[in-house]
Amino acid sequence: MGRRLLFTGFNAFGQHNASSTERTSGRVNALTEISLSDDSDGKIILALSWRYTAYAVGKKLWLQGLLASKPAERLEVHASEEIKALAACDAHCLVLLQSGQLYKLRAELNATLQAVKLEAPSAKRNIFGQAKEAEDISITHIACGSHINVAITAGNAVYSIPSCLHRFPQGSWRVRQLECGHEHALLLNGNGDVYSWGNGLRGQLGHESLGVEERPLLLEPLAGIKITHIAAGGWHSAAISAFGDLYVWGWNCNGQLGMRVMKPDGLLKEPTVYPLPQLQDLPACCAAVEAETDVCTPIKAYAGSRHTLIQRSCGRLWACGWCAHGQLGQQPPKLAYLDSFNAMQQLPKDCDYNVVCGPWSTLIALSE
Amino acid sequence: MVDSIEQIFKLLPRFEDIEELLQNEAEARYILKRAADYFQNSHLNGEEEEISYLVRGLVDKTWERIHSGHFSSVPVTVRKIYALACYFKIFFLLLEDPSLEQIELCGSVLDEAQLLGCTDKLYGKANELKEALMMYLDKDAIKFTRDPLPILAPVERRIADCDVPQLDAPSITEFRTKCYEKLQPTLLLNTINHWPALTKWRDLNYLLKVAGNRTVPIEIGSNYASDEWSQQLVKLRDFLYRQFGQGDGDQEIEYLAQHELFAQIPALKADICVPDYCTGTASNEADVDIKAWLGPRHTISPMHYDPKHNLLCQVFGSKSIILASCADTENLYPHESEFLNNTSQIDAAEPDFERFPLLKGVRFYKLLLQPGDCLYLPPKWWHYVRSETASFSVSFWWE
Repeated sequence: MGRRLLFTGFNAFGQHNASSTERTSGRVNALTEISLSDDSDGKIILALSWRYTAYAVGKKLWLQGLLASKPAERLEVHASEEIKALAACDAHCLVLLQSGQLYKLRAELNATLQAVKLEAPSAKRNIFGQAKEAEDISITHIACGSHINVAITAGNAVYSIPSCLHRFPQGSWRVRQLECGHEHALLLNGNGDVYSWGNGLRGQLGHESLGVEERPLLLEPLAGIKITHIAAGGWHSAAISAFGDLYVWGWNCNGQLGMRVMKPDGLLKEPTVYPLPQLQDLPACCAAVEAETDVCTPIKAYAGSRHTLIQRSCGRLWACGWCAHGQLGQQPPKLAYLDSFNAMQQLPKDCDYNVVCGPWSTLIALSE
Repeated sequence: MVDSIEQIFKLLPRFEDIEELLQNEAEARYILKRAADYFQNSHLNGEEEEISYLVRGLVDKTWERIHSGHFSSVPVTVRKIYALACYFKIFFLLLEDPSLEQIELCGSVLDEAQLLGCTDKLYGKANELKEALMMYLDKDAIKFTRDPLPILAPVERRIADCDVPQLDAPSITEFRTKCYEKLQPTLLLNTINHWPALTKWRDLNYLLKVAGNRTVPIEIGSNYASDEWSQQLVKLRDFLYRQFGQGDGDQEIEYLAQHELFAQIPALKADICVPDYCTGTASNEADVDIKAWLGPRHTISPMHYDPKHNLLCQVFGSKSIILASCADTENLYPHESEFLNNTSQIDAAEPDFERFPLLKGVRFYKLLLQPGDCLYLPPKWWHYVRSETASFSVSFWWE
């Protein structure tokens, strides 16, 4: 069937079947191959929350973890058509179908798929009283965190489920990526512009002032720079530009921005909040140590609650942030965080992969 | 008499004691049930490693919940779960390794349980557990003290200009009519002379002895509105040694500011008393917030206002204070961000009239707060505070 999944990190509730460990509940400290409790063929979609993981293949969806009273509980449901995307938080899982319909599944045993009704947009009429051309309300992107649930329609309307927050002009651009932290959202469009909204008290919005933004606001400090990939961590954010520059902002409490946590004297901490995007110089990669320019540019960013992963053009993954639960793979015992980017070991070479971060874990799906 | 750790185990909750609190919290229910059962059943079953892992996970997860959204909107149940999980974590840490360093670490976990969590009314024996645990963890803390700290010399009283009215030990009625009702900032003299704190706290070794092992929040950098400013939790002992010990003198300024130290350390509460001016005018006597402000020379609180009545009492050292009326708010250039909108962008000590021209119309009131003095500030009056020497103040806020 040709799918291999490597996992490292928090696995207290048997949400992953780690083949190397016998116990369902225990820390996974190094990239470990996991098996699925299902052998159906097809593309697998994954979303990790803290206490369960959601898996979808075709029309089938199952949650595995702590759902009511003990680890390794399992809830399986079937959607009416193929599942396109999942977004998971501890309370529920958002399920987007190929048709653009949205469902919600509470993370409880015996829960069922509930259709999500977005509040109807006010009817638009032209000056002659005729209804304007119907807006495309099928949903194309979803994301959620503990304090935020977002959906975006094909007509570029942004919903804080179920209310409409903002409408970008329909057809002016396409949404390229939507990501949520615990309480903030980031949107990347096809023009390379980034918008952010939600709670910014820890600098995660990148708008300099610390506060709440109710609506998507263009990230001015990155305006004019074409961004190609973004990531939202719990309270931090990352963006990669077409020039191969990496920008990070938000909370650095565990080094998740790759910024130093303690002052050189080792007694006091550096300031932990970076409210503006910081250009982060990655360490030299591969053979570039003696070369003039580093050829291994960052191409993708991923983030968990308090860790960050950067995929570089050579294929290597670089990581920083909190690692106390094994979320960065093999690290010295007792090390709580890495506050600069380090290359992740153990990753098979010459292999395409996709990364999905859980809050305290990292999952790598290898394609043969 | 300090109990042995086995005796303290008995004060841990049984699952029945906390079951009600956890009814809608699946993961806390699962984890704390296993932890409580483990200690009830004389931990026979060899599950120590796994349960310890689960408990640490619960502490970390609850910490994340406490740090999401506004602190004020975090449900008290979440803060109670945090405290319970911290208690269990301490016992697992002690089982794992009873070294001095580990005990030191456990002391910090206990303080965080109190500072971030809610330890109030958790279950019947919760307070007993907390006290026994604190005594147990503090018993070796004395080994971490180094050279003695200085005893600060009493400062000679200076004759200084004072732009607000002064009253010598006014009666409550006089305070009510002349200050409180008229919303008149006033310097009150000779009203706290009976506080034991005035003589005891200058000896920093006393603070070290009573409170050295406690973890307290400190502000780093001279001024909270600056970019370089940050906050963190440290042992009071380390803060005292860094800021008042025989250092090289070029360390960064740290300020223990706006902290409810007296709820945390009852022994210090016994050295002060809530002035009758507060209780006599408060709508609810129990609602007086008491905050501690301890720092070296040159700590600065930039021009800002607070929403409540404020009595700022000086225990040792002196502070220069500049005031401005709430009527001048729009001339004082408050910051626009949500966090700092009660704080002015100006440097009140050296106002820049070119950058902030409206300041020309503002009347500033200056005074020097000296040991034994209390400054009454009505709600929303702007104040800038700078310590001229090492200083300890206690503020009372009430409505």
